[in-house]
Amino acid sequence: MSGGTGDGASHAFLGEEFLTWLWFRTETEGGEFELGAGRVAAVSFDDLLEFAPLDDDETEHTLRKGMPTRSVEARAALRTGHRLRRARLVVAHGQLVWQLVLDGASMQPRSVRLPEDDEEAESMEERSRERAANFLLLNELLGLLYREFLRIRLRPDYLGSDAERQARWMASEG
Amino acid sequence: MFRRSGSFVAFHVEGRMPAPRSADFAGAMASQRFRSIEDAASEEASVGWVTPGDPTGDTFELEDLDLDRALWLRIRIDRKRLPAVWLRIRRGQAERSAGRKLSAAERRELKDALMDELLPRVLPAVQLVDVLYDPEQRLALLFGTATGLRDEFRKLWFRTFASDVVESDAGSLARRVGLDAAAERYLDEVSPVPWLRDRRAAAAVRGPRRMVAAGAAAAADDDESAERTAEEAQA
Repeated sequence: MSGGTGDGASHAFLGEEFLTWLWFRTETEGGEFELGAGRVAAVSFDDLLEFAPLDDDETEHTLRKGMPTRSVEARAALRTGHRLRRARLVVAHGQLVWQLVLDGASMQPRSVRLPEDDEEAESMEERSRERAANFLLLNELLGLLYREFLRIRLRPDYLGSDAERQARWMASEG
Repeated sequence: MFRRSGSFVAFHVEGRMPAPRSADFAGAMASQRFRSIEDAASEEASVGWVTPGDPTGDTFELEDLDLDRALWLRIRIDRKRLPAVWLRIRRGQAERSAGRKLSAAERRELKDALMDELLPRVLPAVQLVDVLYDPEQRLALLFGTATGLRDEFRKLWFRTFASDVVESDAGSLARRVGLDAAAERYLDEVSPVPWLRDRRAAAAVRGPRRMVAAGAAAAADDDESAERTAEEAQA
């Protein structure tokens, strides 16, 4: 029995970069993402942002309530090169809307709230099936969004192209 | 009814698994079914499978598990412990009647006697944890996040199906989302973007060029260093 791939801790930064990129994309190009095979998901940031400290001694920054992405503190954190560690997101796909807190390092969703039950679902079994399918669909959508990020992030010219655009956004006043 | 909210941890399923709606699958779960410790006279824990329709672990009807795309599995964990407050009460009584503190050996003896007397009457604490298993995606979602629970789940899955579950994270997920070969290879060497290379520079940041410069300079340093190494090797 194996405990894991060993990639977890060493690639945690990728999940944090993913969250920061999501924020960048939602602010600069809108929150819609083409995920292939005609699938589209929309993402927006809600009322929780937590920034990863640059080193072990640094104070952690957590912003709650209201619209933290619009706050002066959030912009200051970006300007000083902080990645997002955790954020509360709203993810929409068609008529379905999920709320969740996404932990960047582990890429695991927390405090997930599923879309409203379909009013036409008559039995408990039907509702259970629908809810299970919605948990699995959320997991799939998060994987597809992550893939979109990685396709850009792992390109050889990333530092000179997309990273430069993101850096300009991070350094801006918002 | 299945929950509408909560936290989950995604696991990738590795190795061979019995067909999801087969008697083999139900049989494997039944072999690791939950076993009651209600009457146990010792502090212990019991971890095993039950179904959403039967929390006792006595039956494994496949229709209880079937949610079309996924199977709804459920783990039951019972823990029986001697209530600490009872130990304190009895120890206080014993010390008052002896007129002195109990020795270590006497305290041990008292605890053993109390366990024999009380544990058969103590009901275990019960925890029910849902798991969604998607056989097509080879994915299991565990609806609980505690480290101990994740370990118990891994062990139980292995005992049941002789296959591993590997917890998803930013690295393992990156290898499963269907990247092209070049991107996958680059995963082995990719390092964080140095948005700001030096914290002391934070105060001095004037604009985007400085932030990008941190990344570009790092890349340039690496290139120069690689070229130097190559030249030295040739020399």
